[in-house]
Amino acid sequence: MKQDFKKILIIGSGSSNIGNENEYDAACFETIAAIRKTGAKIVYIDNNPFSVSAEEVQAANVYSLEVNFANVVSVIEKEHPDAVMPTIGGLKAIQIAWQLYESEVLEEQQISLLGIGPQELTKIIDNQKLRDSLTEIGEKTIASVIIANEEEAMDFVREVGFPVIVKPISSSHDTSRFICNNPDELDDAIEASLKRTYINRCSIEQSIVGYKEIEMVGVRDSLGNKMLVSGLEDMDPIGIHSGDSIIFAPTQTLLNKEYQALRTSTFSIMDSLGIKGTCHIQFALNSQTSSYFVTKVSPFFTRNTNLAAKSTGYPISYISTFLEMGYSLTEIKLPSKYSKYTAYMEPTSDHVLVKVPIWPFEDIPDIDQHLNTVMKAVGSTIGVGRTVEEAILKALHSSQLSPRDILPSTSKVDEDELINQLIHPLASRILILMEALRRGFSIDELSELTKIDKFYFYKLNQLLRGQKYVADHPRTLKAVDVAHKYGFGDGMLAEMWNLSINDVRAIGSESANQVTFKMVEPSAGELNDSTDTFYSSYEMENESESYSTDDKVALVIGRGGNQLGPNTAADYYTAKILLTLKKTGYRTIIMNTNPNAISLSPQLSDKKYIEPIQLGNILNIIDLEHPNVVFLPGNRHFLSTELKKFTDLNIVLLPPDQKIAKYNDNQATNAIDVFIDGTTVTPITTIEFSNAKDSNNKQLKYLYNLSEPMLHWETDTEILVDTVTQIINTDYWQGLVQIMFNRQVDGYEFVGIRPVTITETAFLTKTTGVDWVATLVKKYLGKLDKTQIQEQLTSFNHKRRSTMTSVFPFSQLQSNQHDGTVDQEAGAYLTFKNFEEQKKA
Amino acid sequence: MTERYLILEDGSAYLGKAFGSLSTTTGEIVVNSTMNGYQEIISNQIYHNQIIVFTQSSIGNTGLDQNAYESIMPTAKGVVVKEYENLATDQFKRISLDRYLKLHRIPGIYDVDTRQIVHHLREKGNMKASIVDVADEHAFDQLHATVLTNQQVSQVATPKPYANPGDGDNVVVVDFGLKSGILRELSKRDCNITVVPWNSTSEMILDLDPDGVVLSTGPGAPTSLPDDVLEMIRNVQEAVPMLAIGLGHELFAMANDAQIVALESMHYGSNHPIREIITNEVFYAGQEQGYAIDSKSINHDKLYITHADLINGTVQGLRHRDYPAFSVQFSPDGAPGPKDAVGVFDDFVEIMARRRDSSETRF
Repeated sequence: MKQDFKKILIIGSGSSNIGNENEYDAACFETIAAIRKTGAKIVYIDNNPFSVSAEEVQAANVYSLEVNFANVVSVIEKEHPDAVMPTIGGLKAIQIAWQLYESEVLEEQQISLLGIGPQELTKIIDNQKLRDSLTEIGEKTIASVIIANEEEAMDFVREVGFPVIVKPISSSHDTSRFICNNPDELDDAIEASLKRTYINRCSIEQSIVGYKEIEMVGVRDSLGNKMLVSGLEDMDPIGIHSGDSIIFAPTQTLLNKEYQALRTSTFSIMDSLGIKGTCHIQFALNSQTSSYFVTKVSPFFTRNTNLAAKSTGYPISYISTFLEMGYSLTEIKLPSKYSKYTAYMEPTSDHVLVKVPIWPFEDIPDIDQHLNTVMKAVGSTIGVGRTVEEAILKALHSSQLSPRDILPSTSKVDEDELINQLIHPLASRILILMEALRRGFSIDELSELTKIDKFYFYKLNQLLRGQKYVADHPRTLKAVDVAHKYGFGDGMLAEMWNLSINDVRAIGSESANQVTFKMVEPSAGELNDSTDTFYSSYEMENESESYSTDDKVALVIGRGGNQLGPNTAADYYTAKILLTLKKTGYRTIIMNTNPNAISLSPQLSDKKYIEPIQLGNILNIIDLEHPNVVFLPGNRHFLSTELKKFTDLNIVLLPPDQKIAKYNDNQATNAIDVFIDGTTVTPITTIEFSNAKDSNNKQLKYLYNLSEPMLHWETDTEILVDTVTQIINTDYWQGLVQIMFNRQVDGYEFVGIRPVTITETAFLTKTTGVDWVATLVKKYLGKLDKTQIQEQLTSFNHKRRSTMTSVFPFSQLQSNQHDGTVDQEAGAYLTFKNFEEQKKA
Repeated sequence: MTERYLILEDGSAYLGKAFGSLSTTTGEIVVNSTMNGYQEIISNQIYHNQIIVFTQSSIGNTGLDQNAYESIMPTAKGVVVKEYENLATDQFKRISLDRYLKLHRIPGIYDVDTRQIVHHLREKGNMKASIVDVADEHAFDQLHATVLTNQQVSQVATPKPYANPGDGDNVVVVDFGLKSGILRELSKRDCNITVVPWNSTSEMILDLDPDGVVLSTGPGAPTSLPDDVLEMIRNVQEAVPMLAIGLGHELFAMANDAQIVALESMHYGSNHPIREIITNEVFYAGQEQGYAIDSKSINHDKLYITHADLINGTVQGLRHRDYPAFSVQFSPDGAPGPKDAVGVFDDFVEIMARRRDSSETRF
């Protein structure tokens, strides 16, 4: 029964962090498009400066506040929405929704909760209630009890046996867990856990370490119709967090009966929770007995819901929004590029998607690099191929494991260390698995040691065989064909054979198997209607048609997998470039490998390529699409130099390479940001830099707070503006430029100049109301309306101070580091202070 | 790896690599888009005479499981796939997919652009195909000259009755090319099963004193079976509850005056939403369908439509107005495919129970 809602409050996800990249913002972007179709008004609360969605909603309806219960209540009191959507803001939004129910705000204000009923929410918040309710419908969960001491723990162990997992119970988000195989380990774990809690309790549960971890993503409508969008299989067994695991979609090693049992279980759980929308359920599967446990139920949008959408081409967020609003699966009208059947035809794939995580171990060296039950990955890359081998290799050479297009050698690891790493995996696990195969470990032995299904070793073995063939037959056509079949990029071959990429491409051009692009679509070729997402494979039929020569075509090269540093901001930047190009009449093409990137959102571009961001792959796409312009967002020094060798390309680096910056890192305290177009220098605002309060690091790279305007703006702005107009050389500096100063008792000393950073560009857009990325893109395309910009930047009369504060993942990663550099940032949040209110106070 | 070709009746040829048996084969080419259960698919008798193109990118990943065969002697004519893996997971590590196909003389071809083939068949319609060593004129001549049998049912169905004992209802299963999934589901419900040949008469069947009769799935066109079968169905449906599945469903419709049409686009997969008309509920199930009931030909005095496919509009379920007889086009046993509609077997058992209760009250 679809309901008419007039105003919907969306609870955002706040700043990005570990386990929360841009996927929520990407989902929100689609959700907003869907809600708009229904005519409902949108109110949005989120303080993430890199949110693209926040800029899609009318500014007056965006509450840039910390996402917490009190703030949500205050927004509700002001806006009186008739529905709250808590399903695209992660677990925090769900917790807030539950608080809204408990505090009777929902009832008093007659607000509907979208996605899941308030009663059922309790089960998501309270593990014991969930367990009871699952037991009621005949689903098995892992036995677990709360204990206060070792005797109670041993009582439990006598019942279920070792191994067990001990977790401290605390109100903070302490996610540490200890796997214990014997009484000694149990004693240590309990001692450590009790230290971490205020209430002197910890939980102990049956361990299912070594089981297969299988995830199912389904949708359900208000009539009770259910559909399975995708199954996902973690290559790594239970014991390694799903976020740190290599994941395959669809599942690869399940028997039909196992798969169907999990499907049926997913459906009955969705029924029991009365889900409207999407639900992601995780299972531990014992493949010896084909029995399983339900390990996690997430009736809201998650990272892996998103992966299911990316792997099938099924527009899950868009559809789920309608489902939450009460539409049935068969009632949903999708945008015209989809088949009219897409919403309710169960996705089936003829390709494989592999996700490889990206870890921050290089950026934060003091954290434990072992993979275990605590998630450490900050991002991931995906590879899509027609075969498992192809997909693995494409995902790998998009990832940090082979940033320079070649698989690193692990031949120096000694035998003991190798075995140690097989049992206690590190981030480079997949390379270690390959090395073990190379050294002649048997597949049975490896599967036993690692609990990884044999199938994956067969596939890795194939890859090794392919690699060996390629190495043994350098510079031959046959080797190029073999390499392409297994997903090796031309760049990899160039490195291996010590050739230029052009030489490799020349050899390949003789082959009967040229690169083709296949569609990622949910019917495995059954329907003719197309989606617009492609991946490469060296096969016979190419499905990606280039645009006609009348069209203006722009290729935007995404940043790839998320890492620490300004990456979520860079993705924001990429998305804004796409939006602007589309508005200025370009056909837009995005190339990216980050499944969580908002820039890969279905509605943001005309065409998407899920391809490794490597020179060879880029050239393949350029050869087909002949773009009029290529945008490279972010600091992409290596890639831009390489691409520029192909001189006929019109390449735009946005923002300009930071290498041109000149400043003294130790001294900047203030800055003025200006926009330079031709010889016109337009001041935008003044900036205050500050480091963390108790920090001894005063360098700019330890920047913690960025505020506008600066402290003494009322008196000093003019001085800075005057200085800037005197020193800036507009022949050299164009676009968004930042001139930095050191504030001293007697005035401001000039300390340097740089292009405004990506993060700050997002910040400026949120605070000045000018869409800066759009402005820059238009400037480069010669389509800038100069008077409009100047009108928008009327005066330096500020009513509030806006601050962007960095978020670092140190505590989540159990790092002892305190001050973070800009390269260790996981995200940021915004706060605003009204000067009026301040004065009153 | 031996290179081989898949050639199609319309003259197109696809170079690939051989696995399984190296014999030359000819059959009707069909596309299966189910993502799991290659073993169930290959061993399903419904693929007699057919070459199966898998859209799932890799098969053989889980070896072969003794519990997952849909028949003992598979009769598919060939397997076409992008990639296969050769794991053996049985306790003696003997049976990999490659070996299984060799044992049963089924040729396979891999490393072909199956997605291109799917698109090609969508456009050109149903046709014959061969897996051959050389794609020359001779091979195409042979392919054109091959006439595929229309006696599939008699070739795959059991020639003799056999028992599959249980403690519950007496169920007679008429074997038109039965898949094991049907027996598995009936056994789970404790049925005492007797499987009888496809050409059994109604007297032979009713002499077994069944509580209910199941008309099984099977290969080929229902129209190639003799009218005696329809006569049997008419007699049996009057006497005892009846469940008809797949080919059985098509025969049940024909026995009650409906006409059969060959589908322009055959559908083998489990991705189509099926709507139960009375509840409006949508679910998914395995479908292996080359033929459909012409819905215009249905005699509404006798039958009514219970289920419909929301993509191609085909009739997916029927019920008799006067007798406790009903049928489904899809495979509710979920081997392979979703188990969403496995309740069909519960309905059948319940109908048998209700009928027994009401007959007991007669005395």
